[in-house]
Amino acid sequence: MKRLLVVLGAVCLVVLLLGAMHDLAPASVELHAAVATNLTASGVEHPVTAVLLNFRGYDTLLEIAVLLLALIVILAIGMDATISAEATVDVRPLVNPVLQTLAKLVVPLMILVAVYLLWAGSFRPGGAFQAGAVLAAAAVLLHLAELLPSWQSPGVKLRLGLAGGFLIFLAVGAVSLMQGALLEYPLEQAGALILLIESGLTVSLGLILAGLFLLLSRDDGETS
Amino acid sequence: MMVWLILLPLLWASLAFMLGPSRGVWLSIVGLAAQLWLAFALAAEIVGSGAAMHAVGGWGAPLGIDLVADGLSAAMLLLTQCIALPLAVYAHAYFKRDDPATTYFWPLVGFLLAGLNALFLSTDLFNIYVTLELLGLAAVGLVAAGGGAQQIAAALRYLFATLVGSGAYLLGVALIYGTYGTVSTVTLVSLIGADAPDLVWIAGGLMVLGLMLKTALFPFHFWLPPAHGGAPAPVSALLSAVVVKASFYLVLRLWIGPFSSLTVVASLVVWFPALLGTLAVFWGSYQAIRAERLKMLIAYSTVAQLGYLFLIFPLLASAGALQAGIMQAFAHGLAKAAMFAAAGTLIKATGQEMVAGLAGVAERLPVTLFAFGLAGITLMGLPPSAGFLAKWQLIELALSQQHWVIAFVVLVGGLLAAVYVFRVLRQAFLLAPAGSVVTPVPRTLEWTAFGLAAASVLLGLRGVELMQLVGVT
Repeated sequence: MKRLLVVLGAVCLVVLLLGAMHDLAPASVELHAAVATNLTASGVEHPVTAVLLNFRGYDTLLEIAVLLLALIVILAIGMDATISAEATVDVRPLVNPVLQTLAKLVVPLMILVAVYLLWAGSFRPGGAFQAGAVLAAAAVLLHLAELLPSWQSPGVKLRLGLAGGFLIFLAVGAVSLMQGALLEYPLEQAGALILLIESGLTVSLGLILAGLFLLLSRDDGETS
Repeated sequence: MMVWLILLPLLWASLAFMLGPSRGVWLSIVGLAAQLWLAFALAAEIVGSGAAMHAVGGWGAPLGIDLVADGLSAAMLLLTQCIALPLAVYAHAYFKRDDPATTYFWPLVGFLLAGLNALFLSTDLFNIYVTLELLGLAAVGLVAAGGGAQQIAAALRYLFATLVGSGAYLLGVALIYGTYGTVSTVTLVSLIGADAPDLVWIAGGLMVLGLMLKTALFPFHFWLPPAHGGAPAPVSALLSAVVVKASFYLVLRLWIGPFSSLTVVASLVVWFPALLGTLAVFWGSYQAIRAERLKMLIAYSTVAQLGYLFLIFPLLASAGALQAGIMQAFAHGLAKAAMFAAAGTLIKATGQEMVAGLAGVAERLPVTLFAFGLAGITLMGLPPSAGFLAKWQLIELALSQQHWVIAFVVLVGGLLAAVYVFRVLRQAFLLAPAGSVVTPVPRTLEWTAFGLAAASVLLGLRGVELMQLVGVT
C-alpha cells in the first residue's frame, strides 16, 4: 500500500513536470553569451574549465570541501575499522598473475592519461576531476590486483596528500581575497594559477576518490 | 570581511585534519573566537553603512556568484558564532581524551560552520545547494561519529531525510534555471512575476518542501528526535540550536525574495507553513511532555519551538514579523544549546538518561539545573527573556491583523512548554534515592551551559539592537 502510494506520487510528479515543461518560453538570461564574451579574460580556452575554475570557482572550492568531508566522515565514523573487523568471509579470488601483469602495464599508462587530461583541460574537455578519477581508478585496479593494500587510518603524509589540493585552492583564494576579491585572478597569471590549482586537485581528488574505496575495502591477507 | 567567515573555518578544519586524530582543539577554539569577532564586526559595519556585497572572482551575478550580508544574514551569522564558541569549549571538556567520537570531531565542526556561514551569505541558488551538501554531510558525520548501532541508524535516517530534501531543492533549482537561465536570487526577484509559468510554481513547491524536510517541520520531523536525542550532547546542542534554522532561513529568504510575487498571487498559501507550524507546536510539546528520556524531551521541544518560526509567514506583510522570527530563532538557539549542554552534564554526572533518574540533582549540581531552568524560562516565553520578546511581538502582530488563532497558538504553546520544563525541574528537586552517586564534573561544563542560558534571558534586555540589525537591507 505504502509502495503503491509512493509510486503514484512519483508518477503524478512526472506527469505534472512534463505538462509544465511543454509550454516553456526560452530563458530570459543568456549565460552562454556571457561566458563566451569573458572567455579571453578567464585564463583558459575551454568554457567548462573557465566556469568551473574561474567564473564559478567558489562553487568548485566548496565542492572539493564536500569530497574531502565525505572522506573525513568515513574516518570519523570509524567505518574502515568496523568493516575490516566484522568481515569474515573473503569473496575475492586468489591472486591472479595475469591481472597483476596487466595492472603493472596499464597503471603507468593511466598516470600518463591523467596528466594529459589535466593538461588538456585548459583547451578541451578534461581537467582535474577527470584526471583525479583516472588516478583513483588506477589505485583501485592496483588494489584489486593485490598490489596495493587497503588503507587503515591514514598517516600524516597521506593526510597531507588528501587535504593538500584543497589547501592550495584555499590559499589561492585567501591571497586573492587580500588583494581584492575571492578567487579573482590577475589577468596575466590566471592561466598559471588555474593550472596550479588543478594540479593540486588532481593528486588530492585521486587520493580522496581512491580512499573512498580503499578505506572501506578489507584486506585480510596483509593488514588485519 | 564576510568572506573570511567562510574561509577561516575551512582553513582550521583542514589544518585540524592534517594534525591528525583527536588533535586541533586549540586551533579550532582560536578560529572560532576570531569568527565571533568577525561576526560582531560585520554586524556593526552593516548597521552603520547598510548591506555589504562581495562579487566572488570580480565577475558579478549572473555570470559569477555574489555574496551579500544584509541584516538577516548578519544576524544569523552572529547567532551561529555566538553558540559555536561556548559549545566548542563545552565539547573540549565533555569528551574524554580517547573518546572515539572525537577522532575527527574538530574538522567536522569546522566544515559544518563553513557550510552554515557560506549558506547565510550566498545569493546563488546553486551555490546554496553546495552549502547545504557541506552542512548536511558534516551534521550526519557528527551524529554518527563514535556511536553504537542505534546512533548510526539515527544518523542514516537523518542522511536519507537530508538527501531527499536536498534532492527536491536541486530539482527545483534545475527547473528555475531551465526557465530563466540564471540562479542568482537577486536577478530572479525581478524576473519572477505574478504571471510565472506553472513550472516555477512546481519548482518553488519542491524547494520549499525539501527545505521544510531539512528543518524537521511537522510532519517531516520524524528524523529529528532520534538524531538529536542520540548524538553526544555538544553535537545535539549545535544541531538543534543552529543547523535546523539554516533551512528555515532559506525558506524565509526564498519566500520574501525570488518567490515574493508568487506568494502575493496565492494569498492562501501563507497559511500552509503556519498550519504546519501550529501542528508542530502542539505535537512537539505533547511528545516532549510524554518523553521518558531527558534528551528526547529536549529534542521534541525543538520540534515544537521550530513551529513558532513558521507562524510568522501569514504576518510577513507587516514590518515586525521578520524581527519576531529572528528573535525567536535567537531565543530558541541560545536556550536550546544551553538546555542540551545542561542535559549532557546531568547525564554525565548521574549516569542516567531518564527524566525519572534526575532526583536529587538540584542539591548536587545547582548551577547546571539553574541553567536548565533559565533556558526553560526562555522557551516558555517569560519576561525578560528573548523568548518573551519574540512571542510578545508575534502576538501583537497577530492581534493587529485580526489573526486571533496565531496569538492563541503562541499562548498555548508557552503553557505546554511550562509543563515539560517543570516536569524536569520537579523531578530534580525531589530527594535523591539512597545510594545514588553523582560523579563530579568539570566546572567548564556547568558554566558554559549557564552562560548560554543567561544570554538567552538577558538578550531580552538588548532586543532593540538585534531588531535594528535585522531591519538593515
